[in-house]
Amino acid sequence: MTVSTAPDLARETHVQERSAPDIPWVLVVWNDPVNLMSYVSYVFQSYFGYSEAKAGKLMMQVHTEGRSAVAHGGKEKMEADAAAMHGFGLWATVQKDDMNARG
Amino acid sequence: MAKAFKYGRKGITGQLEHAERDLLRNLFADIVDMLEPDSPAHADPLAAMIGLDMDVSVPTDPALKRLLPDVVKAVDAATAGAALEFRQLTERSLRETKIGALRAAALDLDSDKLVLDGERAKHWAMALNDVRLVLAERLSIRGEADAERIHQLQDWSQADDVDSYLALVYNFVSWLQEALVQAMLLSLKDGD
Repeated sequence: MTVSTAPDLARETHVQERSAPDIPWVLVVWNDPVNLMSYVSYVFQSYFGYSEAKAGKLMMQVHTEGRSAVAHGGKEKMEADAAAMHGFGLWATVQKDDMNARG
Repeated sequence: MAKAFKYGRKGITGQLEHAERDLLRNLFADIVDMLEPDSPAHADPLAAMIGLDMDVSVPTDPALKRLLPDVVKAVDAATAGAALEFRQLTERSLRETKIGALRAAALDLDSDKLVLDGERAKHWAMALNDVRLVLAERLSIRGEADAERIHQLQDWSQADDVDSYLALVYNFVSWLQEALVQAMLLSLKDGD
């Protein structure tokens, strides 16, 4: 990183608001009657890097319980993951991490 | 009938008949048409660059909405607002991702023999999945019982109306995607 010597910039940086504390968020994937179980498992393995066993367990939770909290983290990361899930055609939502989100 | 996809020494391979390639080409083109944004990219170069689109709204066509779903469960005005804000930031790029996968898969249809590396296989799986999501919406597949009912239709001589034709197409695309994904899972195991 370079250091700016311009005093105005330095002052601006100084008064910049700090980002809000990183509240834990959760990525929820919902069941639907269309997505193949094999495909959901493939997406969990290839995108999140989960093992076959973990991906299979989360996939079965989506299938039997209607949803599964498949990832936890900061809001922005969860939103990026949700957009990626939508790219794959999975129905995913983000929400603040609470007891209900754990399915 | 197509030879199902399989995973082997050459990677993921599959073979499609002429009529099957025509069918898939038309299906991919239909979904691309659905996904093309109504309005051109934003005139503001910065907005265009980051994919910002303030004109988006929640799709009224349920099939399109299934392709471009809300990112939060809209339970009140605040969550609906958050979902719309996310849509403004990401929907255009999501449409482009999907269109890119559909077009890539359509290009592969120019030859009857498919040899797919990991990235191309992913595009194929995404494209076939989007086709199935749209067909499922048109066929009113809302639950497991509907899915099972549609799955029973396997005989092309039963295609006597639009719905039974769509159901047979849906089953063909499902069969193709299942074979492809099984091959992709084997390829993941091999660390490809």
